Amino acid sequence: MNNILELKNINKIYGSTIKTQVLNNINLSFESGSFNSIIGQSGSGKSTLLNIMGTLDKPSSGEVIINGINIARMTKNRLSEIRNKSIGFVFQFHYLLPEFTALENVLLPYRIENGAVTKEMREKAVEYMRLVGLEKVINNNSTKMSGGQQQRTAIARALINNPQIILADEPTGNLDSNSTETIYNLLRDINERYGTTFIIITHDRHIAEKADRIIEITDGKINLDIKKQ
Amino acid sequence: MKLSFSIALRFLRSNVLQTIIIILGIGIGVSVQIFIGSLIQGLQNSLVNSTIGNSSQITITASADNELLEDYTTLMQKAIDGGDSIINISPVLDNPAFLESGGASQSVVVRGFDRQKAEGIYKFSEYITEGAFPMNNGEVMLGTAIKDKYGLKIDDTISLITADKRTVVCRVSGFFDFKVAALNGSWCVTTIASAQEIFSIGDKVSAIEMQVASSEIFNADIIAENLRERLDNQGLRITDWKGQNEQLLSGLQGQSISSLMIQVFVMISVVLGIASVLAITVMQKSRQIGILKAMGIKSRQASLIFLSEGLMLGVFGALAGIAIGIGLSASFTAFALNPDGTPVIALYINSSFIMVSGLIAVLACLIAAMIPARRSSKLDPIDIIRNN
Ligand SMILES: Nc1ncnc2c1ncn2[C@@H]1O[C@H](COP(=O)(O)OP(=O)(O)OP(=O)(O)O)[C@@H](O)[C@H]1O
Ligand SMILES: [Mg+2]
Repeated sequence: MNNILELKNINKIYGSTIKTQVLNNINLSFESGSFNSIIGQSGSGKSTLLNIMGTLDKPSSGEVIINGINIARMTKNRLSEIRNKSIGFVFQFHYLLPEFTALENVLLPYRIENGAVTKEMREKAVEYMRLVGLEKVINNNSTKMSGGQQQRTAIARALINNPQIILADEPTGNLDSNSTETIYNLLRDINERYGTTFIIITHDRHIAEKADRIIEITDGKINLDIKKQ
Repeated sequence: MKLSFSIALRFLRSNVLQTIIIILGIGIGVSVQIFIGSLIQGLQNSLVNSTIGNSSQITITASADNELLEDYTTLMQKAIDGGDSIINISPVLDNPAFLESGGASQSVVVRGFDRQKAEGIYKFSEYITEGAFPMNNGEVMLGTAIKDKYGLKIDDTISLITADKRTVVCRVSGFFDFKVAALNGSWCVTTIASAQEIFSIGDKVSAIEMQVASSEIFNADIIAENLRERLDNQGLRITDWKGQNEQLLSGLQGQSISSLMIQVFVMISVVLGIASVLAITVMQKSRQIGILKAMGIKSRQASLIFLSEGLMLGVFGALAGIAIGIGLSASFTAFALNPDGTPVIALYINSSFIMVSGLIAVLACLIAAMIPARRSSKLDPIDIIRNN
């Protein structure tokens, strides 16, 4: 199968006088349509890695290749387009816009690309909100929602543009085990239905084990990389 | 574009109080500008009006002193034919004389007018306090100052003694009050025919007087120059009010410049205020801009958000400023009164000046919004995403 995302010799060093190497020679490739999990201790470099994969952060050295193209060769605008159309983000700290309602937040990635929202698109957004169990609060202001609700809204938002890759950083960190189960079933379902590639950071071993592949990061290095048959 | 605009609107609505304060800030700046501008313009208008409103702005006389104009009807026709903005044109025959009544006498200037034509310039109908404009030969109209000095009434007779020592007895047909002591005390108004008879002059006049459209008042010198070229007659002298009121003109110019300076500095302080407030908003909203950029909003769109904010604040601020400015001007004319109850300065609303002030404010806000727009376009989303 072809690789949708490849990382070659990625290093990330913070600071110029006191240098901290957060990522150390990471080489990874992700197959299109695969469902991957990343685990590791707090501070091991998981979010840093995910941000580099999502073109938000730049590695100190090494290459990030998306769909066979090195992102170092892309313009800022092209990277913006990729983040908008090809990648769906669920950030560790969810990050909804407080000036908008939950449904409007879900529709933002679509509006960035297309401007006005069509009726079909609105219905699709409502459907995703239903799938993450939030049909009752779609018109709530995003500040008037619980942490778990905000997190689920962010998941619906990541899905709205049907991206090829979903990068999720502890997407169920604020959820109880039942809701977590529902969300994972939903993500798996989308993975199977649309062939979307998932790369999910989680500290929940139980969840990680449900993925096709588990990558463990320890002190910025890949400690473990298990693919299920 | 549309998205940036609607995000900007949300940002402004999410902090209504701050938005209102900014709009008020712009509004007050614009209103001061409009108020001061209108005040100065009103002042200048009334100054110009009282100086040249009821007098000749361009005058044709013979180039030699004491010469008269002979074929004045053709000359007047030629002057109007130019299509310039000459709106009133009137011939006049002026002669000095002595007015005698009840043993006392004084010098006057006997002015022979064509009533209908002179009405355009002198608005006699508005200033006649008693009686009527002279109709027949031997009738004169006098100013209220002369009336009071000699205790005259309508139908009284006075004597005019000409330079060649002839005495002509005239009937008083009316009195006028031009609100200018010099005129009320020295003019003796009659018809052209009557003046020609009194002074034994053929069908000649001493001058042709003209007024130009009010919008062209300050172009009177140019219009006079055109007239000079068109008439192309060595025997004529054409003068305009600007050449004769240089002091007034330089006074007006000084006023305009100082008013402009005030307006410019008010605008600069508005721009600086808006720029700093918008710079703070971009800080307040950096989290949102970071998220939007992580989701793929382009730098151009990110800066458009703040330009849209600047535009909206500018438009609403300008509207508020226009409303407050007109209100200020109106209340100034309502409350700042002369002892006789008339406003110190008449209300002057120049809609194009107000519109330009509003547009400048909008433009200034757009310029002020460039700084935050630039910042927002430069903002790197990773700085937001990395730090909780
Ligand atoms: N701006 C920065 N400057 C210096 N060091 C940083 C910076 N950002 C992150 N780090 C360090 O990089 C390391 C990795 O951080 P990262 O956020 O990737 O960890 P993580 O694996 O996602 O942890 P967690 O599970 O707690 O989210 C940490 O040790 C952190 O202190
Ligand atoms: Mg993390």
